[in-house]
Amino acid sequence: MKQSRLRYLAPLALLTAVALAGCSSDNLGGGGGGDDSGEEETGPITIGAVLDITGVGANLGVPEQKTLTMLADQLNADGGIDGREVELIIEDNQSTEDGAAKATTQLIESDNVHLIIGASRTGPSIAMRPIVEAAQIPMISVAANAAIVEGSDWVFKTAQNDTVVLERILDDAEEKGYTTIDLVRDATGFGEGVAEIITELGAERGITLGTVEAFEPSATDFTPQMTNIRASGSDAVIIWGITPSAGLAQKAFVDLGVGKPVYQSHGVANQAFFDAAGDAATGAIAPMGRLLVVDQLPEDDPQLEVIEEFKTAYEEETGEAPSSFAGHAYDAWMVAITAITEVGTDPEELRDQIEKTTDLVGISGIFTMTPENHSGLDASALILAEAKDGRWNLYKE
Amino acid sequence: MTDFLQLTLAGLSQGSVYALLAVGLIAVYTVRHVINIAQGDYAMLAGLGAIWMTAAGMPLMAAILIAILSVALVSVAVDRLILARVKNLTTLVSIILTLGVSTLLQSIMLLLWGPEAEGLPAFPGQNFSIGGVSIRSQDLWMLGALVVVGGAILLFYEKTRWGKALRACAEQPDAARIVGISPVMAAVIAFAIAGVAGAVAGVVSSPVALSIWSGGLLLGLKGFVAAVLGGLSSFRAAIVGALLLGMLEAYVSAYIASGLRDAVAFFILILVLIIRPSGLLIRSVPVRV
Repeated sequence: MKQSRLRYLAPLALLTAVALAGCSSDNLGGGGGGDDSGEEETGPITIGAVLDITGVGANLGVPEQKTLTMLADQLNADGGIDGREVELIIEDNQSTEDGAAKATTQLIESDNVHLIIGASRTGPSIAMRPIVEAAQIPMISVAANAAIVEGSDWVFKTAQNDTVVLERILDDAEEKGYTTIDLVRDATGFGEGVAEIITELGAERGITLGTVEAFEPSATDFTPQMTNIRASGSDAVIIWGITPSAGLAQKAFVDLGVGKPVYQSHGVANQAFFDAAGDAATGAIAPMGRLLVVDQLPEDDPQLEVIEEFKTAYEEETGEAPSSFAGHAYDAWMVAITAITEVGTDPEELRDQIEKTTDLVGISGIFTMTPENHSGLDASALILAEAKDGRWNLYKE
Repeated sequence: MTDFLQLTLAGLSQGSVYALLAVGLIAVYTVRHVINIAQGDYAMLAGLGAIWMTAAGMPLMAAILIAILSVALVSVAVDRLILARVKNLTTLVSIILTLGVSTLLQSIMLLLWGPEAEGLPAFPGQNFSIGGVSIRSQDLWMLGALVVVGGAILLFYEKTRWGKALRACAEQPDAARIVGISPVMAAVIAFAIAGVAGAVAGVVSSPVALSIWSGGLLLGLKGFVAAVLGGLSSFRAAIVGALLLGMLEAYVSAYIASGLRDAVAFFILILVLIIRPSGLLIRSVPVRV
């Protein structure tokens, strides 16, 4: 309803053109695009990325796009991998599930990509999963919900799991003696299952889930949800969403004088949260990676060097500070490149190698993947940050 | 009760944005029988333009004024450069053409200002609370904008000679020309008014609802639903309809499900078109023009 049908026509025409071009170059290449691994191992390495660049996920997809572009340019300037050039093809899924599915199919069928990074949000990532599984191409999502990777042989992800994020929140809530917590959550994939996890993890900590409200990530007025929360008798509130919506929810929360402590998710680990919430951001507590508080980390933090190097490069390239989402993209890229450097581009070998990722120091944490664990991060990847003075500050390691 | 009043206030302030868009739609429809799908994009264009100017260091109010005037010019240009070139412009053709204009404006905004949503700084004022109902100063700006701008447009069309003359152009273009009313001038004025109404809606809502390149279509459609409630001719009925729509959206998201919020407008649209195509008008008022 929200997007005009006409707007689909332009990308569609482009898709068709690209698809046709892909076909003809295949024909001319004399079987170069086939599955013959011996031949493929010599050509350029093709990495596809499906990101939420326009639409509700823009605050996530845009920094991810900038990060991947920057890293691909750097890598090629340094001579690629074993002399093979790395070709990065970025597609915009317009923050929709069908857009993500279409882009994934195109990357696999027309561009013959060796690996796919994306999508930025949970919903589109889950829409991509069956396609990469059928084609048997490794995929590394940069979204959060554990459902993206659960039980999958081919899908990995680099953002911290919702479960460990909620553990950090509930641990802090338990320490402060809160017993009832309300939830205002994103109505799309990112917020799916969050209420159930709170109920489950809360039971161990003597915390019960109170009122649950939902909002669309495109929503701009949060008075209805916050009015209901104001009327509830809870001790604290978790707002679970991405920016700008979660920032506007925070603003409505303060404007309506709900007057309770607020926890936010790692979906607001960026400056856009402060742009949307303004002064109302102050006091919110959120678990996130260490990137946004790098200047407040102890000297001996094992991630310090990697984070500082990335931050400097990103700021030089774009003129702005990187968000956590830029960090998720950096991590996905590093996991992919490390594995490709080791074993090349054969899909099964590549998948097996990604599962062997051990102690890879990234931006969101230190990754160790296994065939059972395709997410690679535990609770140590998170710090608690507090919003103050228009930025996130280290609150608790 | 406090909660109900809180929701009512939120609905009224959101509804005032729909009302301004509806006023813009009717301002054009009564003169040119054009339904302007790009009306909502005017709001986003003004919001993003003003944000861009304030980011470049311009004072807030100056940026807003320039943004409103610029959008009025864009609106006139849409008519003069596109709609006016079409012979035998029917309402249906105008919908298709302005849908194209809407896509064009969105693409330009995406290219100029990128895909991320941004907001203007809050307007001057303090939030306060009466009897437990929190009132944001921006709510008052939004309602105030409707009273001042919407009211001025309503009075202009209903009470002034010029306003009545504009309407004559739609009813009897040839007769209007014979008595010396220029259809070109009438169209220019009507589209400028529509541009101003849309732009004002965009800038007053930007601090709380943000501006984004793709946000105009849905907003414009909600304005259209309100305009249909006004039978596409009555400013008063459309304004009442817009405020009701805003309130209903707030009640539905609080008491039923927030996911149904955007469905409310279209449910109303279907109902009205089936049951009462003349909208909220109790009786049609013949205007002597």
